[in-house]
Amino acid sequence: MTAGDPGMSPPKTPFHKLTLGPEATEAPQIIWLHGWGQTHASLLPLAELMEKRATNILFDLPGFGKTERLERGAASPEYAAAVAAELTALPAGRRLIVGHSFGCRVALRLAAGWPELVGGLVLIAPAGLPRRRSVLWRGRAVGLKLSGRMARFADRLLGSRLHDRFAVRFGSADYRNAGPLRESFVKIVNEDLSEVARQISQPVAILVGEADTETPPEISRRYAQLIENAGLVVLPGFGHLDILSRGRHQLEARLSRFLEEHGFGH
Amino acid sequence: MSKDRKRIAVIFGGQSVEHDVSILTGLQFLEALDLDRFEGLPVYVAPDGGWWTGEALLKRSFYPLDADKKKRLKAVRLDVGRARSAGAALLAAKGGLFGPKEDQLPFDLMVPAIHGSNGEDGTLQGLLAFHGVPFAGCRALASSTTMDKDFTKRVLGALGVPVLPGARIERPQSGASLEPKAMERQLAEGLGRLEFPLFVKPLGLGSSIGASVADDMDGLLAALLAVFRIDQAALVEPKVANLREYNVAASRATGVLRLSAIERPKSAADFLNFSEKYLSGGSGGAKLDEAPSEGMLSQNRVLNPEELTPDQSTAIQNHARCVFETFNLAGSVRIDFLSDAESGELWFNEVNTVPGSFACYLWQAAEPPLSFIELTTSLIEEGLRLSAGERAQTDVQTARAVIFDRG
Repeated sequence: MTAGDPGMSPPKTPFHKLTLGPEATEAPQIIWLHGWGQTHASLLPLAELMEKRATNILFDLPGFGKTERLERGAASPEYAAAVAAELTALPAGRRLIVGHSFGCRVALRLAAGWPELVGGLVLIAPAGLPRRRSVLWRGRAVGLKLSGRMARFADRLLGSRLHDRFAVRFGSADYRNAGPLRESFVKIVNEDLSEVARQISQPVAILVGEADTETPPEISRRYAQLIENAGLVVLPGFGHLDILSRGRHQLEARLSRFLEEHGFGH
Repeated sequence: MSKDRKRIAVIFGGQSVEHDVSILTGLQFLEALDLDRFEGLPVYVAPDGGWWTGEALLKRSFYPLDADKKKRLKAVRLDVGRARSAGAALLAAKGGLFGPKEDQLPFDLMVPAIHGSNGEDGTLQGLLAFHGVPFAGCRALASSTTMDKDFTKRVLGALGVPVLPGARIERPQSGASLEPKAMERQLAEGLGRLEFPLFVKPLGLGSSIGASVADDMDGLLAALLAVFRIDQAALVEPKVANLREYNVAASRATGVLRLSAIERPKSAADFLNFSEKYLSGGSGGAKLDEAPSEGMLSQNRVLNPEELTPDQSTAIQNHARCVFETFNLAGSVRIDFLSDAESGELWFNEVNTVPGSFACYLWQAAEPPLSFIELTTSLIEEGLRLSAGERAQTDVQTARAVIFDRG
């Protein structure tokens, strides 16, 4: 992926965003990108702790919270392009992108495609690499995918609603709740960002909870190997979501250290 | 993560009406430990007084406990009467082939995170000090003296810190009822003359639990009865008109006496009550692990409020320093003041030696800011230092008190 035309137009209205901290342009900027199905509010408890150290800009990503969704089927390249358009409008300065889960996919694409806009990355519980699954799990997944297709085929032929029922029974919560974003969701979860990760040259910190079952530490470990300049910390006792609430003080300490070590200070 | 981390036992819950708030405070401390240097050990004191430990305690969604949940925990007790050189430990019961056995769970320091009675009042601190268990925060004497709001006010009043007049009303002996005549006399002695509205609060509890306003004698009796359900005595004070509260945290944990930002708790009502303080903005239940909105308590307060004049800020800071020094406090304490927004008058209200969340939010807003992890680290280090300095002196020669010849 290169900078420029992602093949789709960015949303017509700007992102909904919340700004915390000093307005001064010499303060470092932290851009916060939330996870799938969340809004900026999921990152607020942590961002509040960084209020004294940086200007924090928390976006609602398209299709979530109060930001309009992108065109149907938009995946992480289109999300990254839309965020890049937002960032171009902001005052220039030392800029750190903090992503959580799906937000990390966008952050990685952004850092690779628009390196001039991104000074560093902090990836919290990053998604984007295919999970290593057992043979049994993969077998079941193939079976389910096939059944889903058959249900859809039957629906088309007979006008039935088998697929809906199938989705309720077997789809993940995110898949079921995706609504008009379902097409995007399916594309996004099937993306493999290995190549993108190899292109990243900015400093990167990867933070993940040891008890994370959505994006297990194994994914973060592989990212740490793929990204040239990455450090990894696995925090014991935290999961995929509660790392943002219960774990926020641990994340704050790592974030502050990252800011200092990589010259994001005042 | 380093292998030789110190193990920090954080004790929370407790036999107090502030039990639930204490769970939040204890868990917050554990979540804010510097994991490179410390390892947390949760010690939960159930409402029945039993002590428990286990990983499951770290999640808010685990509470309240029931018989099933207790199966996932270990019952523990403090190993008392150990020689000091053996260090501190908890004992966990386990079944053995030849009868029950006990596992030792050694730890380096205990952090009291229990609010109110049986925890913040010096009883726990006394237990730990007697057995030579290193602990963080205020020592036993400071904890117990400041728990009595009336006594604290009298001492500070004598030192020139402004305090409201107040009358202390003891709970009648069981079976007896409140004697209106005797009570009126006590009120008159403490308050000068009886003028409503009055503010009634428990003598020894924080978190605004049990506090209420009385507009007349009937209201006063009802308010007192409410207090006597949870405390031995009540403190009756004039209700401050145009009330604004200001709180500041103080600590000497980093070496010098430092003060935090000043906060004004926000409240539309006359005073901050428990449900506003901890449950507002939610569905009526305390917020749990998976709701990332828990940090939002900060929306209930104004930090470094603009309406405070430099003189008022200075007065709050000076009085807070006086309180800290007078009672020889330690840890992170919160000192609360009342103010009349119209006249600008200011009165010392109370000290919390184990404030909610260890007042971390006030330190985060201090100048320079102190993060919660920096705060927990400094409180642990201070506790270790203080406890090391208190090691019992047992050399009878030094005291010239030798009776038995040691050869």
